[in-house]
Amino acid sequence: TVCDFIFRLKGILEFACQLDNPNGVQSQSTISKSFQDLRSKVTSKNIVFTVCNSPVLIWPNTGFQSSVESLTEASACGDILQWIESDDGGSKKSSKKKDKKKSGPTVVNMKLLFEVTEPAGNTAPSLIRVSTQQHCVKMPLPLDCALSVTTDERLETVCTGLVEALNKQLADMEEVVLQYRKGSSFLVPQPFHFQLPEPAGLITVVYPAGVPDSQLQAVREDLHRKFELPCDRPYLRRANAFHFPDAAYKDGYLRNPHIHLNPPNIEDAKLYLVQGVYSYHHYMQDHVDDNGWGCAYRSLQTICSWFQQQGYVETAVPTHTQIQQALVDVGDKEPRFVGSRQWIGSIEVQAVLNQLLGVTSKIMFVSQGSELATKGRELANHFQTEGTPVMIGGGVLAHTILGVVWSENTGQIRFLILDPHYTGGEDLQTITDKGWCGWKGPEFWDQNAYYNLCLPQRPKSI
Amino acid sequence: MGRSYFVDEAVEEYLVGIQTAPGSCVTGLLAGQSSPQRDFVVLAVQTPHRESEGQPKASRGVSPLDDIDVEWVTEHAKQVSRMLPGGLCILGLFLVTPPELSKDAQNALKRLIFAMDKYITKGRLWELSEEDVTDQVTLHICSKTKKTVCKTFDVKDPKSSAKPADWKYQTGVSSSWPMLSCSVAVDVQIPMTGSSSDITDKCMKDGLRRWAKQIEAACCLINGRHALDDSELVSGQKKNPKTTHRQTLPARIFVSDEQAELDERSSALVQLCSGSVKVRGVVHCRAYIHNNKPKARHAAQAIKRDIINTVCSRVEMFLEDLLINEGSHKGLCSGQQALPRRVFAPVPVSGLSVCDYMFPDESTADVAERLKEMLDCKTPEEDIDTSLEGNQLFSNVCGSEITESPSDDSSKHVFSEVQTENPKNQKAPQYYAGVAITAAVALLATATSLLYFNE
Repeated sequence: TVCDFIFRLKGILEFACQLDNPNGVQSQSTISKSFQDLRSKVTSKNIVFTVCNSPVLIWPNTGFQSSVESLTEASACGDILQWIESDDGGSKKSSKKKDKKKSGPTVVNMKLLFEVTEPAGNTAPSLIRVSTQQHCVKMPLPLDCALSVTTDERLETVCTGLVEALNKQLADMEEVVLQYRKGSSFLVPQPFHFQLPEPAGLITVVYPAGVPDSQLQAVREDLHRKFELPCDRPYLRRANAFHFPDAAYKDGYLRNPHIHLNPPNIEDAKLYLVQGVYSYHHYMQDHVDDNGWGCAYRSLQTICSWFQQQGYVETAVPTHTQIQQALVDVGDKEPRFVGSRQWIGSIEVQAVLNQLLGVTSKIMFVSQGSELATKGRELANHFQTEGTPVMIGGGVLAHTILGVVWSENTGQIRFLILDPHYTGGEDLQTITDKGWCGWKGPEFWDQNAYYNLCLPQRPKSI
Repeated sequence: MGRSYFVDEAVEEYLVGIQTAPGSCVTGLLAGQSSPQRDFVVLAVQTPHRESEGQPKASRGVSPLDDIDVEWVTEHAKQVSRMLPGGLCILGLFLVTPPELSKDAQNALKRLIFAMDKYITKGRLWELSEEDVTDQVTLHICSKTKKTVCKTFDVKDPKSSAKPADWKYQTGVSSSWPMLSCSVAVDVQIPMTGSSSDITDKCMKDGLRRWAKQIEAACCLINGRHALDDSELVSGQKKNPKTTHRQTLPARIFVSDEQAELDERSSALVQLCSGSVKVRGVVHCRAYIHNNKPKARHAAQAIKRDIINTVCSRVEMFLEDLLINEGSHKGLCSGQQALPRRVFAPVPVSGLSVCDYMFPDESTADVAERLKEMLDCKTPEEDIDTSLEGNQLFSNVCGSEITESPSDDSSKHVFSEVQTENPKNQKAPQYYAGVAITAAVALLATATSLLYFNE
């Protein structure tokens, strides 16, 4: 089933408790009691969901009431769209479709609020003072629940589902808080969403803030077992967290520009593509003028971004200087290499991937560009099993291969190329229209030059 | 182009009727509402006579203008501002002088207006927004000719000079002003990191300020509609001077626990406290909004500020009362103590509500007395509405278990010891907190830590 909507509810609930003795036996039950109070709060009549960019308020725990007359218990959840003002201002219906492909489910963002008016009683306030020495603990809990639904699902069901999700998330948070607490030191429990293969779908896992992925191996192993996920590739590292379609990437790099392209229509051919997410790195980015010499560096950066975003490494994408330094460190280059404008090739790319990321790569050599057309099977296998971007360097140019369309029978082949020689800004339209990311035929390669390909291998880890 | 003040005829009547002893001056307050385009004055109150403890103060200066008791004027202003519901505030001062003092009156007014603004706004838990009007009006009236001179000062600019302003009388300025109302559940937990009263004051201030920020940032529905952006407050009633029916618009407030500075943390904030104070209960709030095309968000701002002010005022009053009666060394004791509860009364003619705060052992007679003294308002006791906030059903017992059930006999004894003296007991220098003027005088007499929320 394709889900048309993701309803996402976010809100901050303050966890507060007073501990007489943080190391005493009582403290656990005090903490649990505070979480119980929070769970009561989210099931009370006072909670309200407000739909962002709209005048809609929903009281989910009062037999469904909304601030807008036309939205009732019987309303389909899709009805909510007409009330939401889209970000590009103007038309109510979002007509901003990405040109060629569907942009995925529509995200409806909601915020969790509490009503302080319409109280149950009317007793005037008092001051209540407690004079015992206590540890006062305060922690904002970053609640974040998401539900994938189809258009015809009732809005009321969605809201009930979100309240249940809040309850469950608070229970998960309590578990994490108790597990990682040391005396009066509490780690903030943070929710992460992951899109798992069906039937699991969109799930949420709570991880303790500040504890690196490397220390959460056992937690992931449990979850891999629970959701029957393969044990050799990461699904649940923080970097694997689901990226909501409506969220911009803060770093400004384009992600997967290739998804906006239609693959060439070759008879009897199959499509073999890079798996997961990479960022497009190219000339002139990051205020580095590497026009004319940096293409292999940029291809390497694209590959590093892939390993980072699939959760294999936590290190940031390396700069030109860091790449050069790595080569000096492994003894491949002299120290004066750092700061120079020297080209690098596939072998250097392989060395840096190993040195900085601990990633091994296979090298494929073709003595003539015309031979590349015969490498369909190898490339298809690579994208099927490893699914990593491939760096290809030859003569004086480097490129990144993101996939192939290849027919086993006819041998016809096309290459999906990401070109690092682009010097413009992060303009998706230009990049796809002008072929900076595009499908090329075998004639794209210099038929007489030799080429080396670096095929990075996925580490077997979760 | 100066500001325009639209003044209710009832105010004109009041000002004209002020009696001045020959050669002397009378000061007073002007209250109402400011909007970006124009201002409305709905109430005028002359400064009450100060009961001095001993000998009347000898004349200090050459002119009666120098004898104006600035401290007393500003204290009166502060007391009155606590009695005004949301949307209404002190807009300025008037000064009645004999003709020979008219030319020096402006300087006196300028001194007073700056001093008053500074005193009233101290300890306020909400910040002025860019749209707030910071002009205050000074009205000089000649006691012989009754001629008025109206000027404004920008009290946020110390270098501000007097700007001319229009002063126009109208009937029923506020007769069609809608009134927003709501009851708000308050539940604020404030950790105490020390036990001296200075630290208690600071902790209370910080704790209440955090809560105030949540209220300011809260989502607000007025009469079922979001109070957002630039939309007008649609009260559904055309302005008609003939109708005296005042619409009541229910307000609903929705908060989030979001605190920008805390949200980036990866661990909990833990403080070792010597204890904590909780402010818990329900407050009833009201705010008026003018009906000259008001924006919904200004109405929302008015009711939110009333919510914040009412909690802040009663905590202030409670602590001031504690200070007067027990001295600064005692501070808050353990257990549950009732804060004064809010009651409302109509002002004659305009029918606008003003409010007051009743301590647990006070009665509507005390409220009526304060209304007379502070607002120069004769309100029959039966018109004072005490039903909006419920009486706290327990005795103020210190050092006992926190309980909401009535205490037994033994603790009643403790109760009476700690409570303030019976008002009929004339023992000086203790002042019963209920009687506003004497309490206010006592406040001025207490030198240090007088000003709660001292910077």
